Amino acid sequence: MSKASHKAMEEVVARNTDNTNRIMEQAQGYVVSENSTDSLLHTSFDLTTAQGVIKHLNSSFLRLAQSCVRDLDPADHLCFIRIKTRKHEFLVSPEEEFTVTVQF
Amino acid sequence: MSAEIEELLKRYQNYPNVVGIIVLDPFAIPIKTTMDYTLTVHYAALISTLTFKAAKMVTNLDSSNELVNLRMRTLNHEVIVVPSESYIIIVIQKPGT
Repeated sequence: MSKASHKAMEEVVARNTDNTNRIMEQAQGYVVSENSTDSLLHTSFDLTTAQGVIKHLNSSFLRLAQSCVRDLDPADHLCFIRIKTRKHEFLVSPEEEFTVTVQF
Repeated sequence: MSAEIEELLKRYQNYPNVVGIIVLDPFAIPIKTTMDYTLTVHYAALISTLTFKAAKMVTNLDSSNELVNLRMRTLNHEVIVVPSESYIIIVIQKPGT
């Protein structure tokens, strides 16, 4: 990411600290990854877990889900996914440039 | 087992926001549906692959964990998938709020 967009992102993060803190009270952690390079931008987990989450969830599974949705209806696109497992729940929110994943 | 499925279908169909319900067997063949056939088959094929991949991914991330539920919110609908041993249930609903 270029320096300008990095600065813009820092500003967004600073603006949303209240929200982040509210979410973090309930959540186990979050991961923010960049869409184009599948690289880690921000996380509250340790690096290995976060990288694992990105590699399996954010990049490969999310792409498949997005292509399924567009296959079913070309005008539609994916807004949000909730993956509920026995132990946790993952909330994945894909945006244009990045993807936010929260683990409950 | 089919009595259970009928009861489920009846219960879910009564919700005002539900657009369609599809019940698949473990081989992703539709056994019960409330939508037209082509759309059902389309959904069955795509969603079953997706669910299988999701279940695999969950066990990849943590081997003691298992997929319980998958909810996808798109612009126009919300698709809820519940996989289990003997069938896969797909419910498509209009987002209420």
